[in-house]
Amino acid sequence: MWRGLWTLAAQAARGPRRLCTRRSSGAPAPGSGATIFALSSGQGRCGIAVIRTSGPASGHALRILTAPRDLPLARHASLRLLSDPRSGEPLDRALVLWFPGPQSFTGEDCVEFHVHGGPAVVSGVLQALGSVPGLRPAEAGEFTRRAFANGKLNLTEVEGLADLIHAETEAQRRQALRQLDGELGHLCRGWAETLTKALAHVEAYIDFGEDDNLEEGVLEQGRKPVSIVSPEPGTTRDVLETPVDLAGFPVLLSDTAGLREGVGPVEQEGVRRARERLEQADLILAMLDASDLASPSSCNFLATVVASVGAQSPSDSSQRLLLVLNKSDLLSPEGPGPGPDLPPHLLLSCLTGEGLDGLLEALRKELAAVCGDPSTDPPLLTRARHQHHLQGCLDALGHYKQSKDLALAAEALRVARGHLTRLTGGGGTEEILDIIFQDFCVGK
Amino acid sequence: MFYFRGCGRWVAVSFTKQQFPLARLSSDSAAPRTPHFDVIVIGGGHAGTEAATAAARCGSRTLLLTHRVDTIGQMSCNPSFGGIGKGHLMREVDALDGLCSRICDQSGVHYKVLNRRKGPAVWGLRAQIDRKLYKQNMQKEILNTPLLTVQEGAVEDLILTEPEPEHTGKCRVSGVVLVDGSTVYAESVILTTGTFLRGMIVIGLETHPAGRLGDQPSIGLAQTLEKLGFVVGRLKTGTPPRIAKESINFSILNKHIPDNPSIPFSFTNETVWIKPEDQLPCYLTHTNPRVDEIVLKNLHLNSHVKETTRGPRYCPSIESKVLRFPNRLHQVWLEPEGMDSDLIYPQGLSMTLPAELQEKMITCIRGLEKAKVIQPGYGVQYDYLDPRQITPSLETHLVQRLFFAGQINGTTGYEEAAAQGVIAGINASLRVSRKPPFVVSRTEGYIGVLIDDLTTLGTSEPYRMFTSRVEFRLSLRPDNADSRLTLRGYKDAGCVSQQRYERACWMKSSLEEGISVLKSIEFLSSKWKKLIPEASISTSRSLPVRALDVLKYEEVDMDSLAKAVPEPLKKYTKCRELAERLKIEDRGC
Repeated sequence: MWRGLWTLAAQAARGPRRLCTRRSSGAPAPGSGATIFALSSGQGRCGIAVIRTSGPASGHALRILTAPRDLPLARHASLRLLSDPRSGEPLDRALVLWFPGPQSFTGEDCVEFHVHGGPAVVSGVLQALGSVPGLRPAEAGEFTRRAFANGKLNLTEVEGLADLIHAETEAQRRQALRQLDGELGHLCRGWAETLTKALAHVEAYIDFGEDDNLEEGVLEQGRKPVSIVSPEPGTTRDVLETPVDLAGFPVLLSDTAGLREGVGPVEQEGVRRARERLEQADLILAMLDASDLASPSSCNFLATVVASVGAQSPSDSSQRLLLVLNKSDLLSPEGPGPGPDLPPHLLLSCLTGEGLDGLLEALRKELAAVCGDPSTDPPLLTRARHQHHLQGCLDALGHYKQSKDLALAAEALRVARGHLTRLTGGGGTEEILDIIFQDFCVGK
Repeated sequence: MFYFRGCGRWVAVSFTKQQFPLARLSSDSAAPRTPHFDVIVIGGGHAGTEAATAAARCGSRTLLLTHRVDTIGQMSCNPSFGGIGKGHLMREVDALDGLCSRICDQSGVHYKVLNRRKGPAVWGLRAQIDRKLYKQNMQKEILNTPLLTVQEGAVEDLILTEPEPEHTGKCRVSGVVLVDGSTVYAESVILTTGTFLRGMIVIGLETHPAGRLGDQPSIGLAQTLEKLGFVVGRLKTGTPPRIAKESINFSILNKHIPDNPSIPFSFTNETVWIKPEDQLPCYLTHTNPRVDEIVLKNLHLNSHVKETTRGPRYCPSIESKVLRFPNRLHQVWLEPEGMDSDLIYPQGLSMTLPAELQEKMITCIRGLEKAKVIQPGYGVQYDYLDPRQITPSLETHLVQRLFFAGQINGTTGYEEAAAQGVIAGINASLRVSRKPPFVVSRTEGYIGVLIDDLTTLGTSEPYRMFTSRVEFRLSLRPDNADSRLTLRGYKDAGCVSQQRYERACWMKSSLEEGISVLKSIEFLSSKWKKLIPEASISTSRSLPVRALDVLKYEEVDMDSLAKAVPEPLKKYTKCRELAERLKIEDRGC
């Protein structure tokens, strides 16, 4: 919803001019503005410099600079000779990438020129771009702003990006990367959705309760299960995440699909997401079936994931891994251990609970190592702004419980939701009305 | 069905059907020989009447142009005004000295405040209105508005001139061309054409061009606007069939009686024109599976439902209710159309089935077994202009001094139309006198929310006011619309009468004074407990408690406080409204 909202707001801001020019032929497509360009890599002498453009005239600019050749294949690096459109003088032999919108960083048509980093080459290309009609140099942060306006990044992602660029340590880098992926946004969005739904029911009761026969039961909220667990391998496909307090540490648990090979496309997607999470995790809990270690998938897992993390020397290891062998109850008590040549591991039986205390203790130690440095920020909340709004949300929910007047109670819910949507974007009343009209038959 | 009665000279003029000029012969109209006005308003519906009278109140010589003078003030859909959110709008229109609230206080037949069990911020003033009385009273009011001239005629085109350089816009409107080719010049023009822009009526598979049943659509004007470059969209709405009153068996239905006492809409009225015991009841019945069956079996005969044009999600037709929420019983309110009307309006049964099937469906419903359909329900499809093309003062970005108000902007509802009408009328007039626009912000009123939503977000379905759209709902209450808007309306717009302004000032200062007096009275909680035994005042801590805090208890009102502390509180109970508003102000709203 908020993406649409931003697009609309952007349109409204352009207002009359766009409306007037709408009918003239050759005008840029609706929702587009000027095309911007900038040197995206750092200033100064360097091996490669990257120059980006974003906007409807990007393709045109690329064609002009690489004439007489046509646009390269979308999202493929191609070698092209760049020449000045005015003089025809060659500028550089460069790698160019063509990203037609909306599948680009900003959501608009984008081009990247990877040129040799000498100042003369860079300024030559920049001047050539500036001579193309409809192109102008970008203002500070304008690429990111366009990505935000086109719904490509939410606010926490934008902040994550800023953090990423300024990250000083490895831990900060991973934290920022997770935020860029929208993890904080994802978490808050989940909460905001719950609050929006709750608010929609209260609002429905206020706006339609009396005349439209909505029952008081509308005010009660249902609970829904967090995850479905099934004995069949391949049940967990999406990554399920839930924040928990583990031994005093704020932890975001991600339950991923098992890393099985050669399965259907839906589960493959689950596996792909699982691998993505694996790369971002601070601590990997690798869970294998103790009675099934000889199977090809277990062997493969041990060889790739466990071995690769284990191979890093402990001092520079940014990721940690605990190998857990579940179903220890299936191993015969007298028999041999689960298998030879295994890296350090823990035995666990979720069925009997045996080994659970040991696992928790091991987790606590690992977490202390990950989060223990008091000089770094808490792992989830990189900014004071985030903490401020989450606390505000919590306080408002406290007021909601105390209010007798339904309008006052609804106000508290609105405030709570407002704090969350300050982090995630969105929060328009139209979302509430969407839920009301979806859930209730109101109207006469 | 169209009604003519006793409006003096003006009626005589309207009967002659003279096309032009048809200026009212009132002494103050001062119509010049070459027709030139400050403001022209096109359309005599709920937006047009408010716009024309607001412009005239602001001091502009105003012309109201309408297809037919006898339809001025016509309620073309439901016979009611107000409700939750809509009642808020009416209070704000009234605070700006608009008409609809005052006319409703003279024309209602069943007054009821909705949401009484919830907080005062969401109370919804509502009334069933006698269509005939409303139209009569509205026409009388329009006739007696100084500076306002009424003329019959259909507008075909706009007269455009060079733009003023200090404003945006590619040209400027300076008058209108009528169907007969004659022209009228004006400094500002307001379009309030409702559903008339390429209006199309749909019953079953039949369609025919009409703005409203029996009225011609405006096609030339729609083309003019499109040619100017306005982005046009299409919306649909509908209205239920009308049923003969004597054919309904009310005795087996659930009867709903009005409030006693009736709460008036207008700040200027203490009572309404009719006693509660003389008012008419409403009745409630429900649909049943047979209704669903008839709808589903005959979808192939129902082109309105099948089309993709967006209709309102609120106020849906019975067809879309059955399709979207099957196997449910839907409410049908049977509402009186007026004191001496033979018709009943079945609220909830808006439909576009072929006429013969409408009666068949209706007679499946309890209490309506022998019902006679007098006028079939029908759908209307019409053009609207993307409201992102207008400013918060309702002037278009494209054409200077051209204003839009009402359904043309994609809204639905009499109240939404009236609210925009007042704002357009004020601003068209302010534009003539080169004063800054009068804009109500989202923090000041529902009108501000309505216009801000429209002008920044646009709309893809008929836009209706809900309290849930309003961020500052707790402070934008029906009770305090005068404090929010009357003073500004008087000073910034000049649309408020001296009398109303003085009343609002008195109320505001009395409230402030009352609250400071309530703050100043302090007793120990044990003394309060003795003074007002019915209040659940905690005496566990013996601290001084202010009267203001005692008033916060649900069971305490100004009357019980004044009984306990007659001096100085007694004087604040003399005015009922003041006493009630003190209580509301104090609730923590």
